[in-house]
Amino acid sequence: MNNYIGIGFRKEFSDEFLSSGKLKPGFIEVAPENWMGIGGYWKKIFKQVTEKYLVLAHGLSLSIGSPEDLDWTFLKQVKDFIKEYDIQIYSEHLSYSKCDNAHLYDLLPVPFTEDAIKHISNRIKHVQDFLEMKIAIENVSYYTPVAAEMTELEFINEIVSEADCNLLLDVNNVYVNAFNHKYNAIEFIHGLPLEKVSYIHMAGHEQVEPDLIIDTHGANVIELVYDLFDYTTRFVRPVPVLLERDFNIPDLEVLQDEINKLNRIISINWDLQNESTKKHIPAAV
Amino acid sequence: MNLQKNTYRQQSDLANYCRTNILSGSLKVRKDRVHHYRRLVFNVVDDSLRSAYPLLNNLLPPKQWDLLVKEFFANHACQSTKIWQMPEEFYQYVISKESALKKKYPLMEDLMKFEWTEVELFMMENEAYPSFKTKGDWLNDVMIINPEYKILSFAYPVHIKNAKYITASDKGNYFLLGFREKETGKVQFMDISAIYTVIIENIAKEIKLIDIINALEGQLNFDSMDSMVQQIVPFLKKLKEKGFILGFKVE
Ligand SMILES: [Fe+2]
Repeated sequence: MNNYIGIGFRKEFSDEFLSSGKLKPGFIEVAPENWMGIGGYWKKIFKQVTEKYLVLAHGLSLSIGSPEDLDWTFLKQVKDFIKEYDIQIYSEHLSYSKCDNAHLYDLLPVPFTEDAIKHISNRIKHVQDFLEMKIAIENVSYYTPVAAEMTELEFINEIVSEADCNLLLDVNNVYVNAFNHKYNAIEFIHGLPLEKVSYIHMAGHEQVEPDLIIDTHGANVIELVYDLFDYTTRFVRPVPVLLERDFNIPDLEVLQDEINKLNRIISINWDLQNESTKKHIPAAV
Repeated sequence: MNLQKNTYRQQSDLANYCRTNILSGSLKVRKDRVHHYRRLVFNVVDDSLRSAYPLLNNLLPPKQWDLLVKEFFANHACQSTKIWQMPEEFYQYVISKESALKKKYPLMEDLMKFEWTEVELFMMENEAYPSFKTKGDWLNDVMIINPEYKILSFAYPVHIKNAKYITASDKGNYFLLGFREKETGKVQFMDISAIYTVIIENIAKEIKLIDIINALEGQLNFDSMDSMVQQIVPFLKKLKEKGFILGFKVE
């Protein structure tokens, strides 16, 4: 078993996770916002988890797509958190969750425009300078374009290139967007800057209308998304892969089955024995 | 800023729609789908408030709860980057506004203060624990208390009685000690009388019990110093058993 497949760590399963050994991820991913600046019971649990597992961070509140200024106080907290837990990857969403000085606590789609590219790339650069590390930006699910002047693909490519950041490729989000906006997922994957992919997300979703899927993270990964993952990983170097499950959390055995399945796919597609790929191994747990 | 006015306008209109449910005519989105954003955003906020204020949620008729949360989210610009802290802003919002709802439910602010304090005590960052010895002299040694505590005062006994059954006749002066147990992280509450809030506040300032009692003697209806000590020390022993008083200062 390799350590490439991780799990999004949830309070809901923390007890069983720590005590049962049913779930054996290669690493865990957490939202810094949920675990920094806290004490008591959850701090203790978090400490136990971080002593056992390597931690990657996936943020919620940076709001890289916001029109307004970056929140430096918040970024300082993130920086301290990254340092405290020796976090190697900090990723965020290519979206916004704060506008007119108000947080919305969910991800809104940014207009695909030239000026937004300049604005967001600059913000990413500032964040990277401040954190003294590259960050990975995630392609998000979206349900409607907003005043778009170009395609999502052009938008992502230009941002990753201008900001010189990494890409967190969420394979489920590609599937969801391809379905929702009627484009070809395989072509989309090939249009991405695959050499910049430093991290992959996999998740389940929910179809709510005949032509609309919502990215819920509340169900098992579907077969077609596994297929897309299988296809995609043939063109991406070995990077950590995360299984996201935020709602309707099943028995941990079910999550482990999903981890095993992802493991089987990458064992075929990636030469994990090769020394030259080992430097990308996220967790030597 | 590199962002052009129009791009900013679109972002602002979409965010505003999610907060208020008012769709601007100039927002260029798919009208058949944009409502999902309002739904998703609002659910996150509503869920977070429900889990922080289960008693208030239980007290208010569903429609009143819904109106209150909608009004809050539309009018108040949430500042917390951590969603678990956002419900405090809800409490502050309710305090800051006169409302028919508060007139109908005069205990509402007390109830919210109680519920938010529990969240805050459970979640807040660890305080440095002072060193102490477990044995000492109750009267003449400085006591060391658990630093993770709060004392609350209420006009209604929201910590004792189901809010649904609290009436105007319950109005009075209530005090509550809340603290976080070091080992388990659990939050404990104890109903205390006014005099004990004064005593605890003085203990927290590292004043010896003998000096606290001397200062209080004139103000209280005790026959003698002895009878005061006989009343107070057993209570302090109880606080020690429960883990609020940790022990005595190492001089
Ligand atoms: Fe994701």
